[in-house]
Amino acid sequence: MSASQSAVRSRAEAVKVSRTFDWMILFTLFFVVLGGYHIHYMLTGGDWDFWTDWKDRRLWVTVAPIVSITFPAAVQACLWWRYRLPFGAIVSVLGLLLGEWINRYLNFWGWTYFPVNFCFPSNLIPGAIVLDGILLLSGSMTLTAVLGGLAYGLIFYPGNWPIIAPLHVPVEYNGMVMTLADLQGYNYVRTGTPEYIRMVEKGTLRTFGKDVAPVSAFFSGFVSIIIYFLWHFFGRWFASTKFISGENI
Amino acid sequence: MKIIKDKVAKLSFVALLITITAAMFYTPTASAHGEKSQAAFMRMRTIHWFDLNWSKEEVPVNDTMTISGKFYVFQGWPETVDKPEVAFLNVGIPGAVFIRQGSWIGGQLVPRSASLELGETYEFKVLLKARRPGDWHVHAMMNVQGGGPIIGPGKWTTITGSMKDFVNPVTTLTGDTVDLETYNLSNTYFWHGLWYLIGLAWLGYWIRKPLFIPRSIAVESGKAASLITSTDKKVGIAFTAGTIALVAWALAATNEKFPVTTPLQAGLLRNMKTFELPARTISVKVEDATYRVPGRAMQMTLTITNNGDSAVRLGEFNTAGVRFLDPAVYEDQSNYPDDLLAEEGLTVSDNSPLKPGQSRTVQVTASDAAWEVYRLADLIYDPDSRFAGLLFFSDESGNRQMVTVDAPLIPTFI
Repeated sequence: MSASQSAVRSRAEAVKVSRTFDWMILFTLFFVVLGGYHIHYMLTGGDWDFWTDWKDRRLWVTVAPIVSITFPAAVQACLWWRYRLPFGAIVSVLGLLLGEWINRYLNFWGWTYFPVNFCFPSNLIPGAIVLDGILLLSGSMTLTAVLGGLAYGLIFYPGNWPIIAPLHVPVEYNGMVMTLADLQGYNYVRTGTPEYIRMVEKGTLRTFGKDVAPVSAFFSGFVSIIIYFLWHFFGRWFASTKFISGENI
Repeated sequence: MKIIKDKVAKLSFVALLITITAAMFYTPTASAHGEKSQAAFMRMRTIHWFDLNWSKEEVPVNDTMTISGKFYVFQGWPETVDKPEVAFLNVGIPGAVFIRQGSWIGGQLVPRSASLELGETYEFKVLLKARRPGDWHVHAMMNVQGGGPIIGPGKWTTITGSMKDFVNPVTTLTGDTVDLETYNLSNTYFWHGLWYLIGLAWLGYWIRKPLFIPRSIAVESGKAASLITSTDKKVGIAFTAGTIALVAWALAATNEKFPVTTPLQAGLLRNMKTFELPARTISVKVEDATYRVPGRAMQMTLTITNNGDSAVRLGEFNTAGVRFLDPAVYEDQSNYPDDLLAEEGLTVSDNSPLKPGQSRTVQVTASDAAWEVYRLADLIYDPDSRFAGLLFFSDESGNRQMVTVDAPLIPTFI
């Protein structure tokens, strides 16, 4: 076979090879993103995502979207720019959550016996679908950054509230008021995580009464816009083939 | 020659595999908390734990035990460690093998961090409920912000039974009693499962079509616009709007189901009640102190003055949780951990009763293998070569009086 000859002999065979490539690339993409995104999110979101007694209405709401919009933005940039595929955000978040759940179930529960109802991950899927949807409908990465980034920050808390609300029911415990989530953190001993490390309800956002979460979510959305832009450029840079330019590319 | 090289390479590879496999079978139990590796000066000059009591050595699942005692926040707190202005009373256990049902300092519940004062003594108690069967090393522990965990003495405790039987019932302020061990679990699985399926459906819609190669060719040839059909857009609208609608509906339904919720609780507890020790009537001046490395013994020259109204004798030197006793004066009845107790580890050159008003200079030697085992001998490598500890004197009625010592320590190597 000479270099100019095709590796396939028919259209059917070409389609088959193409689909095989699709699955191979998708499989690889899924698990590479899972690994990279998981490490990134554990290092930046960390305890806010690990424990229910960190999932507050100020810092968790602010931090989690900002640090989690990164990989979705980068993968979206690559998949949209190169293939017009609007599933970069969801493939990233599905990968992350699969990794998170494996980690929480096998390590946090299976290895160290923290109950799963104390250490489940945050739900990022609604934001990812909206991000992909806006990209598909607008066809614009700028609009996706602005509208999608804002929506990603805004939808995070309401998207998680059905899961965490039952843990915010108050209890009276030995003369003090705590939420059930606080009590989980107190009951289930974390030797290496003393209470003062917990960054919750800190800050100067005191002029909105009890309605802090929407303000935090807006702030998170604004910063998510900036982070989206930044990581979108990372994605484009990684998706470039200039590193391997040559006659045969 | 090549054959020999190949054989060597092959055998080396086999040897490597055997080594890795053998290493896998060597899995010693990690059974402590690194307390011995913490810098000796940290353990000697920060929190001094004493009068400790572990209420049980064997506990069935769901049963409770307590660790109680006192701790003295050392006046000569090292400059290299942040002061305990934000500190958290913890327990050193391997994960949630117990749950912490309560912890108190001076009778006040301390689920949050507390501010401690240097030079003060506090009484504490931690109530633990057994959860996971096994033999566990249970330590008293104080986490200090900027200082790290300061681990106290630990004792082996056995939990019997089965973890399947463990329950953690809690009654909320809305009147419901829930088992915190499993509460909200099915709700969590439901919402995560539902959203994951929705996410997979969105992904599935796209991956059922040819993906990378044909789409890349189309984009490269300027036909990118043709890749998104009107059906794609309709599906996109359905998923986006459906997501927003589902989130809004779930939010409203949740608020209706849980009308009473409160934010997470946080804050620092101040003005903790201190423990009032009896008025101190004994004064001790450290004339000099040396640590003799080969003999694993610390020698102090102390000038002791008794200003009280009863004769006293030195019965114990306690540092970093290791207790050196003079059995002629004091014997431990608290079932203190053996490895931390040198029952005959304290010798005093003249330990006859020191009468009221008298002063005496004595040579005190605290010797035991614990210096080495607990790596307290490493004190000589610390940046601030000082030792510290608690001396306990007993009077004629058996009352004990605590006196702190804190002085430079000179190592001797011969």
